[in-house]
Amino acid sequence: MADPADTRDAALLAPIERTGRGFYWTVGLLSLLILWGAVAYWTQFDEGLGVTGLHQPVSWGFYVTNFVFFIGISHAGTLISAILRLSKAEWRRPITRMAEVITVMVLFIGAGQILVDLGRPDRMMNIIRYGRYQSPLLWDATSISAYLTASMIYLYIPMIPDIAILRDRVRKRKLLYSVLAMGWTGSEHQQKVLNRAIAIMAVLVIPIAVSVHTVVSFVFSMTLQPMWRSTIFGPYFVVGAIFSGIAALIVAMLVFRKAYGLHGYLKPIHFRYLGQLLLVMSLLWFYFTFAEYLTAYYGNEPEEMHVFWAKFSGPFWPFFWGMAVTNFVIPVLCLVRLGRHTIGKVLTASLSVTVGMWLERFIIVVPTLSNPRLPFGEGIYFPTWVEWGELAGSFALFALFFVLFTKLFPVISIWEIREGREVGLKEVEERLLTYLPETAEPRHAEPERGW
Amino acid sequence: MPSPSGGGDMRRLTSAPDRTVRALQWGIAAGTVLFIGAIILWITHLIRTAWRLGDVPSASIGISLVAIPVFLTVLGVGLYVFWGLLTDRSER
Repeated sequence: MADPADTRDAALLAPIERTGRGFYWTVGLLSLLILWGAVAYWTQFDEGLGVTGLHQPVSWGFYVTNFVFFIGISHAGTLISAILRLSKAEWRRPITRMAEVITVMVLFIGAGQILVDLGRPDRMMNIIRYGRYQSPLLWDATSISAYLTASMIYLYIPMIPDIAILRDRVRKRKLLYSVLAMGWTGSEHQQKVLNRAIAIMAVLVIPIAVSVHTVVSFVFSMTLQPMWRSTIFGPYFVVGAIFSGIAALIVAMLVFRKAYGLHGYLKPIHFRYLGQLLLVMSLLWFYFTFAEYLTAYYGNEPEEMHVFWAKFSGPFWPFFWGMAVTNFVIPVLCLVRLGRHTIGKVLTASLSVTVGMWLERFIIVVPTLSNPRLPFGEGIYFPTWVEWGELAGSFALFALFFVLFTKLFPVISIWEIREGREVGLKEVEERLLTYLPETAEPRHAEPERGW
Repeated sequence: MPSPSGGGDMRRLTSAPDRTVRALQWGIAAGTVLFIGAIILWITHLIRTAWRLGDVPSASIGISLVAIPVFLTVLGVGLYVFWGLLTDRSER
């Protein structure tokens, strides 16, 4: 007889057991975009960076913007998942897996942007052989390696009980699931090991995630370039990363909710809570942006003011004001009242923030290089089809990785949902009682002590 | 944490030859050690190069003092899980 828990969570296994026509259409469409990216890269590899819009003084354009953007999105994941786990937020259960998957996928895509940015990727070996730790670029390589390693382990460990479920239930890919399940039987000892490891990793990934984006900001702030040299760039980047990460997570949740019929798991309440987090991050992002630009304006250094006005009213004004509208105005308008049409409002805000945070990364990278401190002429950057192709290919590759993941593994943690049903309620009640002051007369009331 | 199979059908799980599965599982553990070990070796190599060339070795040592323990901790957690699960004989 089938386990009743199985039939209840059949929707989570359905995408793995059956493949609809929509999957092939999606893969086909994404493959076309990836093909465009591949052709673009081949052209660049064959003919050199001259086929891009990169030149002197604007030597960083779309690729570095994408790098900072994707690494930022990775914070969605692990950071949100870890914080929700550590704070024992029960509504996390259907969310954590997607957040962790996003992290690992975008870290690969983000790190890949640096390879794409190299005109001579064969010279990558020189970094391995002769890298110098004086360079923040190498700090980046190290911290991203640490984050990627930790994130992969943090994704894999909580997946083990689910892989064991697949090993037991799904008829396909037996060897893969048997190997990855690591002999999971759900014994008391194994549960203890797993819970302890998840707890350690949850604590560990938070400082690693924060340090990664701080170090990404160091690539800019350790230079003497106008509008880059800033002491608040570290926290500013981290706030932006969490902000874009939450937005990307919400978009992914809504896509898979619709595609796989997960309405019973991803409910409006989840989007309401994430929407509130997004609103907080929007306000924080605005605060940091305001502080960043106010200090530059107040300092009134000529080179800085050149960049400042290039953003405010010069050639970059559409990007700057577009960023302000999409990162602040639209999210605040959508999220300040979430009474009705919660999902529509949260989706609009998240899409807006995803675009806005890409613009923010662009507006940090390019205007400064266009107006450098050194006596170069002013440079204007126009991306060519090669960079657009790489951009489309990168987003499509991320989406394809995610879609393929959902065909192999449950996109929502099955065991965490079951645990929530079986022991979560009782645990929450017990925990709640420990938070509250005792309602009955205390049996051993201690005498009140003054300071 | 609920048992994955409800407890009743564990024998059915291991349709793939047990020894191959077990060898591949230890292979993953070994791969993890190799991957993280290689990164630690790389960092050590950069310190050695900086030291040999007198190229501000303090920067390399300073960064690696933070980085290497992080990698070792991650490796430790990974091995703890692999060892804890693969050597567990209860309920099997």
